[in-house]
Amino acid sequence: MTLPLHLVAGLEMATLPQQVANGILLGSIYALIALGYTMVYGVLKLINFAHGEVFMLGAYSALFASWWLGYTPNNALSGSSPLNLFLMLGFSMFACSVVGVVIERFAYRPMRSQPRIASLITAIGLSLLLQYGGQLFLPSAPAPNIDSKVNPYQGNVEIPLKPKDGAFVAKAEESAKLATVSKEAFDTYIKTSGRDPFNLDNEGLALRNASQEKEREAKALLDKASDSGLSISLPKGQLIMFFTTLVLMAILRYIVLYTRRGRAMRAVSHDFDSAALMGINVNSIVTFTFILGSALAGAGAMMNATFLSGTKIDTFFGMLPGVKAFVAAVLGGIGNIPGAVLGGLLMGVAETLVVWAGYDAYRDAVAFVILIVVLLFRPGGLLGSAKVEKV
Amino acid sequence: MAGGPAKFWLVRIGSIALAVAACLLLESFAKGQSSFVQRLMLLAGLYVTLAVSLNLINGITGQFSIGHAAFYQVGAYTSGFLAAQMYAKSGLVGAPWLVVVMLAGALAACLAGLLVGLPSLRLRGDYLAIVTLGFGEIIRIVVQNQQQLGGAYGMNVRPLIQNVAVVWLLAILCIAVCRNLLKTAQGLRFLAVREDEIASSAMGVNVTRIKVTAFVIGSAFAGAAGALLAHFEGFVSPAMFTMDLSFIILTMVVLGGTGSITGSALAAVVLFYLPEKMRDLPNIPMANVIAGLISTVVAVAIVKRAVDTVHDRKARIPRYALAAGASLLTFFALGLILSKAPGVSVAPSIEGAKLRLVVFAITLVVLMLLRPQGVFAHHEFSWSWVNKMLGKKDVPQTEVAA
Amino acid sequence: MKQIERNLWTAALAAVALGMIGCGGGDTATKAPEGTGTETPAAAAGARPTPTAEGNKVAGDTIKIGIIGSLSGDQKPWGEDSVDGAKIAVEEFNAAGGVDGKKVELLVGDSASKAEQAKTAAEKLMSDGVIGIVGEVASGHTIQIAKAAFAKGVPVVAVGATRTDLTSEGTHVFRVCYTDAFQGPVMAKFAYEELGLRNVALMTDNKQPYSQGLSKSFNDYFTKLGGKIVGEAFYESGQTQFSGQLTELKAKNPDGLFLSGYFTEVGPIAQQAKAAGLNVKYLGGDGWDSPQLLVSGGEAILGSYFCNHFNNKESRPEVAAFLSKWKAAKNGKEPGTTMGALGYDATKMLLEALKTSKAMDSKALTAAIESVENFNGVSGSITLKGQGGNPPKDALVVEVRPESEGFQVFKKRYAFFKE
Repeated sequence: MTLPLHLVAGLEMATLPQQVANGILLGSIYALIALGYTMVYGVLKLINFAHGEVFMLGAYSALFASWWLGYTPNNALSGSSPLNLFLMLGFSMFACSVVGVVIERFAYRPMRSQPRIASLITAIGLSLLLQYGGQLFLPSAPAPNIDSKVNPYQGNVEIPLKPKDGAFVAKAEESAKLATVSKEAFDTYIKTSGRDPFNLDNEGLALRNASQEKEREAKALLDKASDSGLSISLPKGQLIMFFTTLVLMAILRYIVLYTRRGRAMRAVSHDFDSAALMGINVNSIVTFTFILGSALAGAGAMMNATFLSGTKIDTFFGMLPGVKAFVAAVLGGIGNIPGAVLGGLLMGVAETLVVWAGYDAYRDAVAFVILIVVLLFRPGGLLGSAKVEKV
Repeated sequence: MAGGPAKFWLVRIGSIALAVAACLLLESFAKGQSSFVQRLMLLAGLYVTLAVSLNLINGITGQFSIGHAAFYQVGAYTSGFLAAQMYAKSGLVGAPWLVVVMLAGALAACLAGLLVGLPSLRLRGDYLAIVTLGFGEIIRIVVQNQQQLGGAYGMNVRPLIQNVAVVWLLAILCIAVCRNLLKTAQGLRFLAVREDEIASSAMGVNVTRIKVTAFVIGSAFAGAAGALLAHFEGFVSPAMFTMDLSFIILTMVVLGGTGSITGSALAAVVLFYLPEKMRDLPNIPMANVIAGLISTVVAVAIVKRAVDTVHDRKARIPRYALAAGASLLTFFALGLILSKAPGVSVAPSIEGAKLRLVVFAITLVVLMLLRPQGVFAHHEFSWSWVNKMLGKKDVPQTEVAA
Repeated sequence: MKQIERNLWTAALAAVALGMIGCGGGDTATKAPEGTGTETPAAAAGARPTPTAEGNKVAGDTIKIGIIGSLSGDQKPWGEDSVDGAKIAVEEFNAAGGVDGKKVELLVGDSASKAEQAKTAAEKLMSDGVIGIVGEVASGHTIQIAKAAFAKGVPVVAVGATRTDLTSEGTHVFRVCYTDAFQGPVMAKFAYEELGLRNVALMTDNKQPYSQGLSKSFNDYFTKLGGKIVGEAFYESGQTQFSGQLTELKAKNPDGLFLSGYFTEVGPIAQQAKAAGLNVKYLGGDGWDSPQLLVSGGEAILGSYFCNHFNNKESRPEVAAFLSKWKAAKNGKEPGTTMGALGYDATKMLLEALKTSKAMDSKALTAAIESVENFNGVSGSITLKGQGGNPPKDALVVEVRPESEGFQVFKKRYAFFKE
């Protein structure tokens, strides 16, 4: 294995802030999924393997909602409004809650008296069933995607950290002007001579080469100018995704800490049997937990599929994010809600930092390396209880 | 011990001779067959090894590994690499060479098993599940990035050796090791760990050590099987060892009965052969697929209710009949209605091959709902059981936990 | 302890028995191609082993031919098109009377977008008695088919598998498309000479042998021309988020981005690259060839260039004839990908070779395919004689345009050249 050249030469510091920002945005999706794992684990002590597939169905729900709103692949509308996004988000969250409830009622509840391994196998079977069975009914080959026009928030937000060198910028602008002049000369030539730009005579070639030469010069200066400054550039859509995530988490926190149901949920999580003895309707609380967790996964899926434009949706859409989010939940301390959020964000940052260090080929492996390291040194997770849970 | 050492060795040597003879017979039978049938026979042997070795981890010791394909892959690549470096120099050909690569593959997989097992086996079963899953991914990604191992393209393995006898001898060896292990005091510790970790550790069993041992032995057999695979395919690539494969092996173990060697071996053959047959299925209309799924749900619901409420096994029989009738009725009625329904009748029909993994998944879920212990549960094939079935008097077993 | 000792002895005994099998038993069908140990397929190039197996013979009144394509999974658009193309070729051949009064029967195998399945499908077809196999589109699948066919001595005509070292699997492997050793240089030449790019970054799908091979051939030729590869990033098909890799590439200030993967990931990468501020030209290979690219790539992908085998708008008579046949068979729809034409070409070429074949068996058919010269295919003239299975073919550079303009618009043709 040869080390990437720039790793030997020293890491690229200039991209670090941008990569950390990328990681936090990515991590916010992991955090949303991880919350579902952690809450279900909290009340049932079950790893809901099918949670990734709930995420997948959420993406499909958002896709169908976008089609229903008129953004079909063949004939998409040209503009959009935030209302469309809101409708898609709502539909996706609702559909996922329904799926979550159905899964709990018909697959997990009958297994509650069985040994835990049996529930785990059921969960894995269910996850496979949704992946492969979904292929029969859902459009997956070729994999569809949500039309990017549904997102009214195009473009980026620039956060300057260090201003660009004014002298460089001026030079670049000047050079760009020259390039435009030269390009226009070539374009007029093409128009007047009616020639194919890829099959030119000598005059045309000379003009084109000159234009390309100028363009390269301009680009080099522009690059120099932008390299002299430092800024973080974030797609607006992904920023909205991040803030929506924060809002959803705040709502979740409110529900868990300050409502009756939330208190009941914590009681069930603390001691399942005693909670039942205290008159809490355990079944309804478990259902409620599944609704919350699945709705969050649905929100994550909708935002992932919409704001990361062009993301293909197939029935394996939830597999990798699901497993990574589970690792995030373990990293934060499984069963611990703030832990899941912290774990998700760290997970996202860790992933982009691996890319930053030049090991992009190993990006998917890092989640599992983290898992093994956490299990070795802090099995309870970062915020979880330190005791090793046996049996 | 009734017969003394002489009888013991007679039985041992006899059974080895018998196994070898059976494998040679199988080999001579295979020679006359088409290459497709030969391939099936070879793969079936490998799957039996994989299922039985995973059963040692999942069924007998009660751990939960879902990344068995990773160890298979480690074995395959080890033998491929070894063949590249050593084959020409070694002077070995045919089966002796296979034995060498098998041992190497087993050793490498052993080490890999130790690497994964040590950190995670101290913890609860479901963590192990994710770690093994992740380990499979790590192995795949690492191999994909090694140009000397051929990257995503894979690498050629020479020589090509298709030896049915060695493949099945490995399978028999794997079964024998697991069976004999269970008959020793050491084996009882494995079962104790499965039944209750706390209690067994209170009884002085080193739980972690037992778990790691099971894990390492299981991995080793998977590695040996991988070594054979590499030499009979003549090629290894990361695409051959996906998560799907791990899940298929898991389904075999679960279906056979967690803990039953007989069950795992039989389930491996059935679940390996069935999908191959499903490839020949004609296209199935969407109406029938939906009707099939719903009628399965109906049958499962009725049987589940029977299992939960009726405790006398014989009294359940009318319920089973009801389930069969109701599901058949649903199937035909729905099929008829749906085939006329406007949305469904125009939907494209589905290739039988596409249903393969769906069937695996349904098998897992239905099995867990109705018979979580698997078809054979913890029962094993034995002569006394055959005698009982044939109506003879039970012959008391003389050689228990020698 | 005694137990363990006994078990050890037993194991030793078993090992001895195993060794005896090796000496006495012999191995089933051990006809390994002569090559010393493991080599990566690339290293084996040059020496193409010849299958020694006899292959299948025609029995009865029908000649069985197999086609393998992905009828499910990610690559379904290609698999379906190639199979449909093959069906048209066979119908046409039978309507014209077949050969020696015998009709051809086409058996279809599904590789389900998986290498393992491709191999099993090939085994199945061969045990059903096909004397030749057409397929596959993806290189990773074709290599498995080629391996299975080697053991049986059945010829394979690959449809769209461009990975260069594929034909080194044996003298029974042919293809009707160009190779990546040509496709990569064509795009490098186009980028350097026509677009005036000098600093190109690569993005490679590490899960696809095709992508790894194409990136390398582009890299080599572009560097040879005097250009610079400023960076290479890796991803895996199935990933959805590429901002990390794109940020790193952007820091290298490239003026072009070569995406050697399949259309399924290229679309989102292009959109995310644009969002990350990588406003440069995107280039790619024939893996982009599906109108689905427009759906997943949105506006970001428009104006990009990729390399392809032929174009529906070409004026050659073969193209018009093929399109009218296709439309007749498919309710007036044009083929979405070029794999329809390549599937047709591969099948038709095999059938034409059947006419000149000395006997109706795999061995004679292989020899007949090997001696094909100037076959007038839809995708251009195909000559296999003395070419080691790789016909020298032209490559077309096309621009990605909206569906209304016909998705891929022809820009420049490159006649075959050797690096």
